[in-house]
Amino acid sequence: MQDAGLTNEEIEEKPKLNYLTNGSTLKSWLLTKDHKRIALMYLVSVSAFFFVGGLYAATIRLELLTPATDLLESGTYNKAFTQHGILMIFFFLIPSIPAILGNFLLPIMIGAKDLALPRINLLSLYFYWIGGALTIFALLQGGVDTGWTFYTPYSTTFSNTFVMAVGLGIFINGFSSILTGLNFIVTIHTMRAPGMTWFRLPLFVWANYATSLVMILGTPVVAITVLLLAIERFARVGIFDPAIGGDPILFQHLFWFYSHPAVYIMILPGMGVISELISNFSRKKIFGYEFIAFSSIAIAVFGFLVWGHHMFVSGQSIYAGLVFSFLTMVVAVPSAIKMFNWTATLYKGSIDFSTPMLYAIGFLGLFLIGGLTGLFLGSIGLTVHLTDTYFVVAHFHYVMVGGQVIAYLGGIHYWWPKMTGRMYSEFWGKISAMLVFIGFNLTFFPQFILGYQGMPRRYASYPEELQVLNIFSTAGASVLGVGLLMPVVYLAHSLIYGKKAGDNPWLLPGLEWRTASPPPTENFEKMPVVTWEAYEFGEENGLDVEEARRRDLATVR
Amino acid sequence: MQTNSWVPFFPEQASTFAWQVDALYFYLIAISVAFTIPIVAAVFIFGLRYREREKYATPEEMHGSIVLETVWSIIPFVISMTIFLGGAIVYYNQYRPPDDGMNVYVVGKQWMWKIQHEGGQREINELHVPVDTNVKLTMTTEDVLHDFSIPAFRTKADVVPGRYTYLWFNATKPGKYHLFCAEYCGLNHSGMGGYVYVMSKEDFAAWQSGNVSGQTPVEQGRDLFENKLGCASCHAGGPQQRGAKLEGIFNKEIKLVGGSTVVADDAYIRESILNPGAKIVEGYQPIMPTFKGQVTEEQLVALVAYIKSLSGVADTGGQPAAPAATPAATAPANSAPPANR
Amino acid sequence: MSAHASDKFVYHEPGLQHQFDDMKQQEESVSIGMWMFLVQEIMFFGGLFTAYLVFRSRYPLAFAEASNHLDAFWGGLNTLVLIVSSLTMALTVYYAQRGNRNMQVIMILLTMFFGTVFLGVKVIEYTDKYNSGLVPVTGWNKKIPETAGTEHAASKDPTFALPLIETRAEAASAADDHKKHPNPKGEFQWNYGTHVVDYGLSKEKETGKPYLTASERIGYFSNGVFDPDKYRDKIRMFYYIYFVMTGLHALHMIVGLGLMSWLLWTAWRGYYSAEYYAPVEMSGLYWHFVDIVWIFLFPLLYLLGRHFLAGH
Repeated sequence: MQDAGLTNEEIEEKPKLNYLTNGSTLKSWLLTKDHKRIALMYLVSVSAFFFVGGLYAATIRLELLTPATDLLESGTYNKAFTQHGILMIFFFLIPSIPAILGNFLLPIMIGAKDLALPRINLLSLYFYWIGGALTIFALLQGGVDTGWTFYTPYSTTFSNTFVMAVGLGIFINGFSSILTGLNFIVTIHTMRAPGMTWFRLPLFVWANYATSLVMILGTPVVAITVLLLAIERFARVGIFDPAIGGDPILFQHLFWFYSHPAVYIMILPGMGVISELISNFSRKKIFGYEFIAFSSIAIAVFGFLVWGHHMFVSGQSIYAGLVFSFLTMVVAVPSAIKMFNWTATLYKGSIDFSTPMLYAIGFLGLFLIGGLTGLFLGSIGLTVHLTDTYFVVAHFHYVMVGGQVIAYLGGIHYWWPKMTGRMYSEFWGKISAMLVFIGFNLTFFPQFILGYQGMPRRYASYPEELQVLNIFSTAGASVLGVGLLMPVVYLAHSLIYGKKAGDNPWLLPGLEWRTASPPPTENFEKMPVVTWEAYEFGEENGLDVEEARRRDLATVR
Repeated sequence: MQTNSWVPFFPEQASTFAWQVDALYFYLIAISVAFTIPIVAAVFIFGLRYREREKYATPEEMHGSIVLETVWSIIPFVISMTIFLGGAIVYYNQYRPPDDGMNVYVVGKQWMWKIQHEGGQREINELHVPVDTNVKLTMTTEDVLHDFSIPAFRTKADVVPGRYTYLWFNATKPGKYHLFCAEYCGLNHSGMGGYVYVMSKEDFAAWQSGNVSGQTPVEQGRDLFENKLGCASCHAGGPQQRGAKLEGIFNKEIKLVGGSTVVADDAYIRESILNPGAKIVEGYQPIMPTFKGQVTEEQLVALVAYIKSLSGVADTGGQPAAPAATPAATAPANSAPPANR
Repeated sequence: MSAHASDKFVYHEPGLQHQFDDMKQQEESVSIGMWMFLVQEIMFFGGLFTAYLVFRSRYPLAFAEASNHLDAFWGGLNTLVLIVSSLTMALTVYYAQRGNRNMQVIMILLTMFFGTVFLGVKVIEYTDKYNSGLVPVTGWNKKIPETAGTEHAASKDPTFALPLIETRAEAASAADDHKKHPNPKGEFQWNYGTHVVDYGLSKEKETGKPYLTASERIGYFSNGVFDPDKYRDKIRMFYYIYFVMTGLHALHMIVGLGLMSWLLWTAWRGYYSAEYYAPVEMSGLYWHFVDIVWIFLFPLLYLLGRHFLAGH
């Protein structure tokens, strides 16, 4: 730069525009068609919902510190757990991994410039915002107390809270999820880079494909169900209220037809993240690629056949109960396959215990417990005792928090340098991963025991002999809370003070590591041609190990 | 939910199929442990053994193994089928109500359980059942969904408006067990519960008959005293009786064997029924048998009320009311759920 | 990391969006996207059809009687109109592929015309329901003040003392009669008598076999006596489902008409050619889907159970 005549070099040294710097007006964000910007806006909104939902969780745990209803009254407590469920499920768990990580990475991972339908993608974000705003509005007005399941006839006739507004919020938000799923399917089918065959796709893409199938096939059913519920409440006529000949069990069937598969919407992308983490941080090709890929599809398909296991005690016939119990047991198999393959991948690897990998290892343990206790609940003779108790609460938190949230955090840490171009503090990352793991177990393991003792869920007060374990649980929740808050601090800190990450900080072969960090608006300087299989770490794959080692040495000095 | 089992934090087994559910539970725990230990151990061992020695080292490539995949697909499938079968058998037993059961009718209502026995006795938030008897509940609700759940019996069933659902059990152990509403039903959901009292067959018969006649506690106490428990054969009064005279003793000082004295208050009368040998009145032999386990709390209250009445003392309600014993007390006004919260 | 500068100046075909490499990829994407959208639409209506089938099988008589008040003529006409509009829609795509702008515009106009006719008929039908007090929401029916119906002594009697209706003509006259019933609050009314249930009960006496289903016995009777209020609730349920299903369908028609207006504008401007006609094709798919939903709605709502009147 010492010589003004060297114009060529000057052009070269100008910082290239990435997706963050390409336009800085509010309009360039709100009307963007860039999947990465949309993902970032999702990240901010979803995190906001997560922390509101977390506040409700904190009040619930504080109320349950003592057997009596002293901190909250019953009515307030009922609203707290309802709103915790609604915010966490519809506005955090379902959109988090697909709409944030999937949105950001799926096109990059398959070598596309964007999602196939970028305007639809933006529309889905707006649906999410409108649905979310409506829900928040209802919460500010006084909230809703039906439980996130909206069981009739309580929700249609008896509750005098803001069921309709929340119902409409969920209805609108449903279309956000449908459109995201639609977009992913189209993108995966048509936008793969040359050479990116189906069996070269990263497993995260496969998992999102399976998730999208569920989103498209399941979400419309819950949308129409919630719409019918809202109309029924408004018009005082309908099909769910037994007082006029309707059927509350029909509501449960329609609701769980979606809401069981919705569990797989939540966990499948998490499994995809874990496949990425395990393979990449062991620097080893994932064991049984096809089996993991197809087990995702199998879970999505079988997931549609097991909704009745939420209704074992609701008065369905013994034959329906047995069939649903049988199918539930079958779903366990693909999950077990994944588990074994992940473990086998570690064998003879070169395991790097960075923060994301710590989360992945934590996932293995927690999801194992979550999955195995799912067998308890799928076994129909046992679940008569266990259903509607804290055993269920503990089980789905092990799957949802221990599985999905842990995977989400792992994914956020893993792709953070790609998304922002900055590296977070590895030290604090590890500390918070440990805290989350310990706090989580302390919170939810006692609830299995409480559940077997018979403590019913959704109870504001409980018999005194159950207090000891509840104190453990609340204590654990505070540790978990600290663990979950820490990333907000050090990740935000890294945005400004974090060291520059470089394009490929871990020297990994995935396509997302073969572009700049943060990526340019159309993802790649030059559209890639894929000539390698997924997860191949050899130097012949263009990974320059020597160069990376030199780079590391340089940064250490 | 008494935790007097050898396993800490374990609920009491008090029905014929409780042990089946528990056996299935322990079978599943065993399977879970059998899966968890090897996997966690493998993760730990691999984690230590194959820890990154050198940055960006590329370990040798390994391909999947069809044999392994097949093995670890089939083994979980077979195991899950054993779980399914176990669950199916237990469920089958739980699902089919026996033909010879005693019938009880349950109506759920925000936020109380209204229970009616075949003999016409009504209870609220309490269910009295005899031990070792098949009891079949026929249930419905006036408003929203509820769920009749008795953890000690390992059973529950939803209660659905507009239709009947059924639940049956055979209690094996006399005692007092929690009754919960397990399906969320609105504001006071956590208060919608009470207790199930399992009684010996005799007690239950007494409870049943005591309830039917609509007696006051004093009348009921006399009934128990003179007929059902046969106290009168010793305590009827008169010089030749083997038992102490009871007329006019209430709140008086009584001389005991050995020279000490005691005030004959409620507590003393109660103790003397349950543990007669503790404080023997001067001039009598310690020959009275214990009535512990044969009389219920309600009957004790009635007996005490009767004995008080022999001294001309009206029962002022110093004792806990016995809701089930008097029809008046079964009115909804008195039906607030037990204040154990 | 040097010479990709030339990449910036790639030739872009008209209508090709930046994220695609070529038109083939774009068309494939749009087509898969549309099909996926239709799949979710099927699931969306699927929930409604499930609800309809459950209650149709539970209360067949009430549903049959309620559906008898729907006019199969208007329903049939609408079916015809939609089938013809599907034809014109298909022709629109055909002419778009041929690049024939004028015929395209004519066909789009025809399609829009038939769509509007369909909605017009729907308005006629809904108005009839409004006048007859068949909208299941209280206050959303025509309010008929007390005085209007005083000449009918029977109308004051809430116990449905209407004679057994045997023929279609009688049903029609009962319907006329019904219109004069006072309805000051605009409530849902069902004053047509109970001939179908009566028919069922007499049939039971004749044959000695149960004619009513178990849920009907619970659904229509209180303590063994026929309860007109409970019966009316089931009729109301039919109309609830009718309005939700046809209402959502009509909403889809309106969206379709919006799509057609946009198509008309772009076709007029000559956007479409033999090379680029994907929007026409996609709008066509949507239009056909909405038609097909009606093809299911018509027999389920209008035709099923009509023999109860025609048969005797």
